[in-house]
Amino acid sequence: MNNNKNKKRRKQQLVKAGMVILFIGLAVLILIPIYAIFLASFKPGGMLVQYGLNLDIDFKQMSLNNYIVMFFGKHEYWRWFFNSIFLTVATVILTLLVSAFVGYGFAAYDFKGKNILFVCVLIILSIPLEVVMLPLYKQMSEWKIMNSYTAIALPFLAHASTIFFFRQYLMGLPKSLLEAGRIDGATEYGIFFRIIVPIMKPAFAAMAILNGMNSWNNYLWPLLVIRSSEKYTLTLGLNTLLNPYGNNYDLLIVGSFFSIVPIFILFVCFQRYFIEGMTAGAVKG
Amino acid sequence: MKRKLLSVILGLTLMISTLSGCSSKSTETDTAGTVAPTEAAESGISAVGTTEMEVQGDDVTTINVWTFIALHQEFYTKMAENWNEQHPDKKVKLVLSNMQYDDMHNKLSLALESGEGAPDVVDIEVSKFPAFTTGTIGLRDLTDVIAPYKESVVQARLNLYSKDGKFYGLPTHVGATVAFYNDDILKAAGINYEEIKTWDDFKAAGVKYFEATGKYFATVETSAQWMTSLMLVQKGGNYLDADGNLAVNNDKMVEVLTYIKGMQDTGAFGVIPGGQPDTEEAYAAFNAGDYAVQIMPFWQTSRFVNYMADIKGKVGIAPTPVWSTTDGEAQSIGGGGTGTAIIASGPNADLAAEVMAFIKLSPEANKEVWNILGFDPVNTEVWTDTTLTQNPDNQFVQYFKNYPFDTLNAIKDNIGGLSSQTDEKWPSINNEFCTVTLNNIFENGMDIKEALDESQATLENEFQ
Amino acid sequence: MFKKFFYSQKIAPYVFILPFLLTFLCFWIVPISNGVLLSFQDVLKDKWVGAKNYQRLLTDKIFFKAIFHSVRYMIGTLVLLIPFPMLFASLLNSKLMKKPGLFKSIYFIPALTSVVVAGIIFRLMFGELDSSLANRVLTLLGESPIKWLHGELTSFFALLLLCCWRWTGVNILYFTAGLQSISTELFEAASIDGANAWQQFTRISFPLLKPTTIYVVTISIYAGLSMFTESYMLWAGKNSPNNVGLTIVGYLYRQGIEKRALGYACAVGLVLLIIIMFINIIQLILNGTFKKEER
Repeated sequence: MNNNKNKKRRKQQLVKAGMVILFIGLAVLILIPIYAIFLASFKPGGMLVQYGLNLDIDFKQMSLNNYIVMFFGKHEYWRWFFNSIFLTVATVILTLLVSAFVGYGFAAYDFKGKNILFVCVLIILSIPLEVVMLPLYKQMSEWKIMNSYTAIALPFLAHASTIFFFRQYLMGLPKSLLEAGRIDGATEYGIFFRIIVPIMKPAFAAMAILNGMNSWNNYLWPLLVIRSSEKYTLTLGLNTLLNPYGNNYDLLIVGSFFSIVPIFILFVCFQRYFIEGMTAGAVKG
Repeated sequence: MKRKLLSVILGLTLMISTLSGCSSKSTETDTAGTVAPTEAAESGISAVGTTEMEVQGDDVTTINVWTFIALHQEFYTKMAENWNEQHPDKKVKLVLSNMQYDDMHNKLSLALESGEGAPDVVDIEVSKFPAFTTGTIGLRDLTDVIAPYKESVVQARLNLYSKDGKFYGLPTHVGATVAFYNDDILKAAGINYEEIKTWDDFKAAGVKYFEATGKYFATVETSAQWMTSLMLVQKGGNYLDADGNLAVNNDKMVEVLTYIKGMQDTGAFGVIPGGQPDTEEAYAAFNAGDYAVQIMPFWQTSRFVNYMADIKGKVGIAPTPVWSTTDGEAQSIGGGGTGTAIIASGPNADLAAEVMAFIKLSPEANKEVWNILGFDPVNTEVWTDTTLTQNPDNQFVQYFKNYPFDTLNAIKDNIGGLSSQTDEKWPSINNEFCTVTLNNIFENGMDIKEALDESQATLENEFQ
Repeated sequence: MFKKFFYSQKIAPYVFILPFLLTFLCFWIVPISNGVLLSFQDVLKDKWVGAKNYQRLLTDKIFFKAIFHSVRYMIGTLVLLIPFPMLFASLLNSKLMKKPGLFKSIYFIPALTSVVVAGIIFRLMFGELDSSLANRVLTLLGESPIKWLHGELTSFFALLLLCCWRWTGVNILYFTAGLQSISTELFEAASIDGANAWQQFTRISFPLLKPTTIYVVTISIYAGLSMFTESYMLWAGKNSPNNVGLTIVGYLYRQGIEKRALGYACAVGLVLLIIIMFINIIQLILNGTFKKEER
């Protein structure tokens, strides 16, 4: 009897050990590319050209030169960086407001055509932007708003998946809350801004992070829209460092590595919301 | 939680670094050959951004310029200052935007299409040029501003940027294809590069070199056609037939590619990392002595100086081999390059054309083309000026074993061209060859005729 | 008068929906209709060409190659990015594992990098030099270095690896979220009944994870079919040798932007739309969504 228990415990410990090894191994594999670029950020660009990206460490060759170039050199990295921050913050705030506005409309009211319209939301959810990219692009050009952040953000302010999430979030809302507001003399819009917005904070946080990540890492659409280099975002700018007429690896690598840093800090601080935001669709959908 | 996460990440980082630290020693010795990175960074080759000239005075016209090589900005600014000194009544202020290569061309075509957002002046790469001289041409006819310089400018180069007898682009250089030999390692293998006259000599020297050293002699190209186009022109071949129809699978093409395949089969010729000599991987390989010869346009000089510092003083420049020394075939063709074009609808198009013609074609400008950029100037007036071409302080003169212009002057009157390169089909043909055809033949071992037929079919489908 | 109208409870919902309605019309319906119209034109020459663009599509081998690559990539991601993350999530969720949160956080890190940065890293790791990371690994395994991004299969491998690297952590999170919505009592009851871990996984976790799985499968299909930036970055914006990295959207970009054949590119886009709508409908039928709504 006792022997049997011991055996079982042993087996369990073995399984445990196996799992720990498996997951640590997976963690190492996943961190290798990040680690490689972290190392590369200390290596001269020429070395990268000659040897490719690998895990070699050679302290004689490594230095902080790339970081010095990044912080003090003559280039537009920081302009891209702040463009990206500006665009991300502006897009996130506007997207959240507009989408919450719409989401609330879907959740709180019954009106003619609601179902059809909601089906439209669901349809958009499943169409990749790439399908409409070119005609949309032509349209922006005809509207003369090319080369502007407006053109990057405008088509996506009423963002289908964000609307969907907010609608799901607000579905469980007691109608009595709205009635109370109406009795207090608030208008329909007043109810939204004064009562609903404050109680949506957690939902905002989750969607802010999801939309923020998308905007920070967005590439294809800005690539089409933006023409002048002073408006480049970070992803666009970094890519311009790759050029058939000479790649600027010194800045490229350290710049790429550094572009992960702000979002990583946000991640460490607001991990819960990241996870909530990312998994929102999976659970509630 | 946060702290723990960080500490574990740090721990893992340390762990991996100690692990890989053990294996890194072996590479220590060969890192000495690293290309000087700071030099490349300082030359600012791919810095992206906008620079504005500072100009004194009231009556100054602002001209917007798009480039995709940052080095050109420096050159244009310097020459524009020169212009302002000489023409105080027509002062200009250049505002230069440098962009990524593909991106700039895409944006230009879109800007021309929508009639919005185009610059006044733009550098268009030669292989993209025909795309802008098709349909409604948005570029200004530059025949009038070229006229004063036309006598002394290499005609083949002007033709590359022309359509129906009108010139739309101002060339930066001739880009005459020449041969760059690493003389030191060739001598050690008992080869005198000056004796190589024909492709057969070239091939035989390759085999000899390979037997002596076990290293590759020269590269077989898969991502460019510097040598392929040259050999084709020398044979009198083309990518199109006499009526301008697509004919990439013609007999002369097959002959040329078969010959190159024969070179590859000897084992002495290999595909260089990067697929052609003008890539970073190839600079590194050549710098390390893994390859001995490059057949490249003259402007490769600037790549040698910037990226292949270890073989300084060892490289000699010579005319390229030919099929036969007696039939008077072309000794070289112009390769690569950018044509500076003026947007016809721009408000200052006429002034911009005049200024840019000065900046790119005048003798004083062409001296600077050599001094700053290390290119072979299109205005051959300056080719014979030995105070310029043999200036001991010039970094390009210092780098090479012989005087680069000696070779240029030797081939001066025999620089050919390919009519297909100005055809609207050229960008697609070139792209097909450099991504599919040559790869199929030299990497995947596909039958030459079969590979060409396949590409012909692909291209026909595109042009139908 | 207007104010009263605007503030009435009947009109308010439409005001709330208005931003979406405008977006839907201006940025989806209009572009898609325009796309349909453009696909019957030669935009550069500004003339109608009938079905010529579609005829050309049917004989365009490169286009079929692009479709093949996209579909292959999609299937590859489905095969790798559904079962493994599900299994990992179940293991991490079991009581045996210590500090599951930490591992989940680490696995999530790649998702924080943009595709541009990830592409740059992987391009350099899979460089053709002997000393690049991928070739080092090959050498360790006793193979000789290869040109990863030249071969049809090796570059597919690199693309898949890039995708797995970025998404394994995210999918683990999805499945964890799904697992956490399953009551622990179920597992406890099963455990008392003598079900082992594997039986618990197949009998409880797997069936109850169905909604999550459907969601993950759906986004994987759309993301897989419309993949572009990954391959664009892996070949540094250039066309890949022998088009080994060409995808449907890549072809759309090449034709529409690089070659300025906007009409042809729109035809490519519509084919993609049709494929996606087709899959959409199949999925809805398979999931029985239609039936549910009838009830």
